Amino acid sequence: MNGQHAFAGRTVAVLGIAALAFLVLPLLIVVPMSFSSARSLTFPPPGFSLRWYEGFFGDPRWMEALWTSLSLALISSVCAVVLGGLAAYGLRRGTFRGRDAAESNYMAPLIVPTIITAVALYLGFAKTNLLGSFAGLVIAHTMLNVPLVIMVLGVAIRSFDVRIEQVAWSLGASWTYTMRTVLLPNIAPSVFAAWIFAFIGSFDEVIVTSFVAGTYETIPKKMFNELILEVNPTITAVATLLMLFTIVALGFTAWLLRRGGRLKETLL
Amino acid sequence: MAAPIAERRHGFGFTAPLLGLMFIAFNLPILYMLALSIWSAEGGLTGAYYAELIDTPIYMRVLGNTLRISVVATLVNVAIGYPLAYWMRGLSPRAQFIAVALVITPFWISILVRTYAWIVVLGNNGMVNRLLLWSGAVDAPVSFLYNELGVMIGMANVLLPFLVLPLFASMLRIDDRLMQAAASLGAPPRTIFLKVFLPLTLPALAAGALLVFILCLGFYVTPAILGGGKVPMISNLLDMMINQYPRWEQASAVSTLLLVVTLAIFAGYRALDRKVGA
Repeated sequence: MNGQHAFAGRTVAVLGIAALAFLVLPLLIVVPMSFSSARSLTFPPPGFSLRWYEGFFGDPRWMEALWTSLSLALISSVCAVVLGGLAAYGLRRGTFRGRDAAESNYMAPLIVPTIITAVALYLGFAKTNLLGSFAGLVIAHTMLNVPLVIMVLGVAIRSFDVRIEQVAWSLGASWTYTMRTVLLPNIAPSVFAAWIFAFIGSFDEVIVTSFVAGTYETIPKKMFNELILEVNPTITAVATLLMLFTIVALGFTAWLLRRGGRLKETLL
Repeated sequence: MAAPIAERRHGFGFTAPLLGLMFIAFNLPILYMLALSIWSAEGGLTGAYYAELIDTPIYMRVLGNTLRISVVATLVNVAIGYPLAYWMRGLSPRAQFIAVALVITPFWISILVRTYAWIVVLGNNGMVNRLLLWSGAVDAPVSFLYNELGVMIGMANVLLPFLVLPLFASMLRIDDRLMQAAASLGAPPRTIFLKVFLPLTLPALAAGALLVFILCLGFYVTPAILGGGKVPMISNLLDMMINQYPRWEQASAVSTLLLVVTLAIFAGYRALDRKVGA
């Protein structure tokens, strides 16, 4: 019976490791492929070259898409953190009626399939002339990233003792002053994490962007369109750079949250 | 009376700017879409757009495709995800941290990159076909891409973290002493797993599977890329109706149907999720 038990344990370990490999290995294979000298996606790559990176950085269309993606992600993530942060504060500290309804409304973009949001925004933006405008993209990306910001900051604000703020108010500090000098410094790691999440969320957004961007190209939109037409190894270099950027940003955020002791509650 | 009124409004000002944005960028567009699907061109209510959906075989075929692929991808997710979560539960805390990091990181990496990775792995010159040819298992490359098989593999891969993370979290909450008690009463490991552990994880498993199924129904990027236009799902149909032929009313009707189905399943998910939390 003991032998049977050990066999079951080994089987579970093999299945678990295979599942992890299924998740991670395809991503790891993209990295060496991006340094391949061949035009076709042959694995293992026949030789080493940087031609696909040169192809990416040397192409003005990719560079323009990169610029659009960066500015869009920067503006919309800041908007999402400011608006979402204020809303999270109102939800956690406020006593007004309809808080649950407001919170459900903020979380709705997470539940409604993104394709439906994309269709609705296309129709709505077509009606209001926001279709194909940068302002429309900023509005859409801000709205899409609000749920994550509220989740992360909601946890942080809830775990910060309200009595500390009450002391500041009782000493005559205004709420803006209290927020700036008492609350914000204490939840700074979470604010940074929320901003990074919103930035990555916007930088990677492809569905709504494809529907409402018009002639604007972002990195994911261009990547998506190229993937549908033909497989060009330049994508492999773009994919590697995107992965590197995400892992560095996430690693840094995880390190910050860990220092603040908030890693586990933010993640699970 | 003054205090309760102040209480009923306290804090609302902080949430108002975002509520304004949500109305402009989410609530009103969705309502407009719902209205388009039931408002006829001549004015007045109509059910014609919905009737057309049911009468057109291609729409029904796409719907069937979507349901079939979603069910299979969800089942594959369960088959891969449950053993993974179970294995992670038994690891040392340090190994658990690494495993969780390996599950979460792909979750954050662009869905385009994750989908593209499968083109590299499953293509005719890709790693899997090379291995199969080299080992002599097949004589010609197997077509994994641009068919239903590729779409299912890609979707199972992309959605796996959504199932594994909540399932693992719920498995961690199960008290080891329950299994020890069963063992001390003489139950063999197999019975302990089937009669004690598995039933305790079923609500979380069902909740995770429902979540994955909802995400499958509205999946757009992976079927578009790995299906190569040959495996249309609802979302790809919507893309065509909006971006290729302007058929906004039909697109609104399809979206509304998908929205209703999604919200209904989500209500079931919420009920299960509450049970898990309790």
